[in-house]
Amino acid sequence: MSSNSFITMNNIEKAFNGVPVLKGVSLEVEKGEIHALLGENGAGKSTLMNILGGVIEPDRGTIEVNGEEVRITDTRSSQSHGISFIHQELSMVTDLRVYENMFLGSELRNKLGFLNVEEMCVQTSNILAELGVEINPKKYVRDLDTSYKQLIEISKALLHNSKLIIMDEPTSSLAEHEVKRLFDLMRNLKQSGVSIIYISHKLKEIKAVCDYYTVLRDGNVVGSGEVQVENLDNITKLMVGKSISEERFNHYSELGPVALEVTDMMSEGLFKAIDFTVRKGEIIGFIGLAGDGRTELFESIFGYRRKYSGEIKVNGQIVKMDHPYQALQAGVGFVPKDRKENAIIKDLSVIHNMSLSSLGHFEKSGMLQAKKELNTFQYYKEKLNIKVNNPRITIDKLSGGNQQKVIIAKWLEVNSDVIIFDNPTQGIDVGAKREIYQHIIELAEQGKAVIILSSEASEVLKLCQTIHVMYQGEITARLKGEETSEDEIMRYATGFRKLRYNQAFR
Amino acid sequence: MANTQAKIPNEAKKKVNVKNGLNWLWSEYSVIIAFLLIFIIASFMSPRFLDLNNQLNIFMQVSIIGIVSLGMTVVMLSGGIDLSVGSVLALVGVITVISLNASGNILIAILTAFVVGSFAGFLNGLMIAKGKIASFIATLGMMAAARSIALYTADGGSISGEVSGFTAIANRDIWIIDYPIIIFLVMTIFVYLLMQKTRFGRYVYAIGSNEKAALLSAIRVDRVKIGVYTLAGLLVSVAAIIETSRLNSISSSSSGSAYELDAIAAVIIGGTRMTGGRGKIIGTFFGVLILGILNNMMNLMNVSPHLQGFVKGLIIIVAVVFQKRD
Ligand SMILES: Nc1ncnc2c1ncn2[C@@H]1O[C@H](COP(=O)(O)OP(=O)(O)OP(=O)(O)O)[C@@H](O)[C@H]1O
Ligand SMILES: [Mg+2]
Repeated sequence: MSSNSFITMNNIEKAFNGVPVLKGVSLEVEKGEIHALLGENGAGKSTLMNILGGVIEPDRGTIEVNGEEVRITDTRSSQSHGISFIHQELSMVTDLRVYENMFLGSELRNKLGFLNVEEMCVQTSNILAELGVEINPKKYVRDLDTSYKQLIEISKALLHNSKLIIMDEPTSSLAEHEVKRLFDLMRNLKQSGVSIIYISHKLKEIKAVCDYYTVLRDGNVVGSGEVQVENLDNITKLMVGKSISEERFNHYSELGPVALEVTDMMSEGLFKAIDFTVRKGEIIGFIGLAGDGRTELFESIFGYRRKYSGEIKVNGQIVKMDHPYQALQAGVGFVPKDRKENAIIKDLSVIHNMSLSSLGHFEKSGMLQAKKELNTFQYYKEKLNIKVNNPRITIDKLSGGNQQKVIIAKWLEVNSDVIIFDNPTQGIDVGAKREIYQHIIELAEQGKAVIILSSEASEVLKLCQTIHVMYQGEITARLKGEETSEDEIMRYATGFRKLRYNQAFR
Repeated sequence: MANTQAKIPNEAKKKVNVKNGLNWLWSEYSVIIAFLLIFIIASFMSPRFLDLNNQLNIFMQVSIIGIVSLGMTVVMLSGGIDLSVGSVLALVGVITVISLNASGNILIAILTAFVVGSFAGFLNGLMIAKGKIASFIATLGMMAAARSIALYTADGGSISGEVSGFTAIANRDIWIIDYPIIIFLVMTIFVYLLMQKTRFGRYVYAIGSNEKAALLSAIRVDRVKIGVYTLAGLLVSVAAIIETSRLNSISSSSSGSAYELDAIAAVIIGGTRMTGGRGKIIGTFFGVLILGILNNMMNLMNVSPHLQGFVKGLIIIVAVVFQKRD
């Protein structure tokens, strides 16, 4: 054991309901090291980190901090050893303000015992500024974009002078330039001796910022080493058992009539002058940075936000979208991002989450047929490779990526003509990502119109024929998928270049 | 996954399964276990407790609150609360008797009750779903308003039925089982099926658990909520018919008073979560029986009626402490 190691976890075992999830995992992280923890969905990464963070206790195994064995029984004892934890699922209290969330449980007080609001706001602003974020600390979190929420979550961990920061998929809803900012910050932290355990399914990020890696598979450590000397393809093979092509998908589905046409749509303060069409068999993409309004735009098209003006035509018919149910009836489906808040019904079982938007498919004379629901679930379980032992358990027991697959299954079962995916592969491992892309291609080939919203340029580049770039509520460019590049997309996304696309395309 | 399971030795797996089974039984059905415990204790404490007549008596006494509690369960599963049940029960009773006396027809009286009860519930639902008023506030308003209309209509007193045959509803029996017991059982089964086997039930759970996600799942949240409160109102009207028929009269001032508290208590003892999304009709059924046995015991043992509330309060708190929390 080197004297420089900060955390050592030895032979950690953990089982849930008799099913082993961690089978003797050991992990060592040195001071000032950024350590990548890798593995496919359900490999046990979050479970291992939950043990280190004091969220759950291991069945067996020991943990050492600075060479001394410690018992971590709850989150508080974990924090007392200088460990802070950025969870995979956002855990903000949305009805509180930004600074209140930042200081939740460790509020600053003045001499009289009153809350020192000004000081908290200043500190909040300072930390956020380091990440390149400018938001009013007194804003309510519920009014913020997901990527801001994630950045606040990160800042919260920076607030305490931690010696080890666990980051469980911190960038799942961040755009590239926000990720760069985060990496600069991580490198600075590393310089000052802070260790970081970094979990991500984006291998590019691992290469960019991590020193060492450990790969988990089915609860076992199957490999570890130095990131710089190892080839990414080998790491991928370790994770998912095969190498993954990074190529663009080519699909040649015949384009049918226009399925969705949006003209001159605007909503005060969110987006304006939006025009686009998508045809049957076509896959189009929308991309932009935080505050670009793409999510709000499609939430409006799906009838979730009612205040908009402009015209929406589905299959040639003008529809006034007042309610998601109306959108569904008209043939528009929407897989929202930020699953914990927008998609997961945590008290319903895995099966019931899958069937929730298409219960009509499982009804016989007004009664739901449990058998049929189970059969359909088995179908998607196979198809999307959902890792779950007993689909009757509540969905919050699944690993993050597997929850996401259930949400995708839910909307595949709805089978609408137009289907909007907002950040569809959030938290999904590299192998499964490829499979999900394959399904999206199949949807197009079946004649569906597909719209993909993403913060990752590589995602839209792989799939979309047309890419719409948004900046502050406007479409700034409309690019052909085969001809453009990440750099070009980023130039438009940051508002650096603005194209009079309307003339160009109409 | 199949291959991970294969690695566990069979024996260990069996043990684990037994342990899991017990855990599951406890977390899902702790109220039934509590019920059995209280039942056994009661039968030791008073010899008369096990008497068949006494048992039927308990059942008879809880049937009205039981029916109200079924509706309350649905409301609480959806994430709301209905404080107006007691007052609406009195209002429905008063109007039912008036309609009965005016028409001389029992069927018309019953239909009147259904209309008034579900309309009051519908109004609650409208205020909550469309008016975006918190259920606590909306139904508090309804509680005051319904009681006031009942008092005004009956001039503050009681009114009695003048049509023979109306009392049969609550006082006849099949074999030895009184009608109200049968109605309670039938309603329990009905609401159980509604919540477990239909779309409506599934939607109620979804809304109670995560309303935003339910809406984004294309569920018509407003409609479902209005349905929930209307159903609760309808069940209150069934309870009101039994209450009125039992003594052939209804008191505009005292009938139904504090029923909301008993109903909420039964739902909570039955394991439904205050904030919605989790709970079971079967739980409420046994919650109601637990309250009934406690009342009965205290009567059999001559506990002062003034102390009975204290004991009940204690049991509610103990029940909630013991329930698995998340
Ligand atoms: N509370 C729980 N009850 C039962 N099973 C659980 C529980 N928590 C996790 N699991 C199971 O443990 C396994 C590992 O889950 P974990 O969340 O650690 O995966 P992960 O590696 O973080 O995956 P992802 O990349 O999808 O986030 C999964 O199969 C999951 O279903
Ligand atoms: Mg995870």
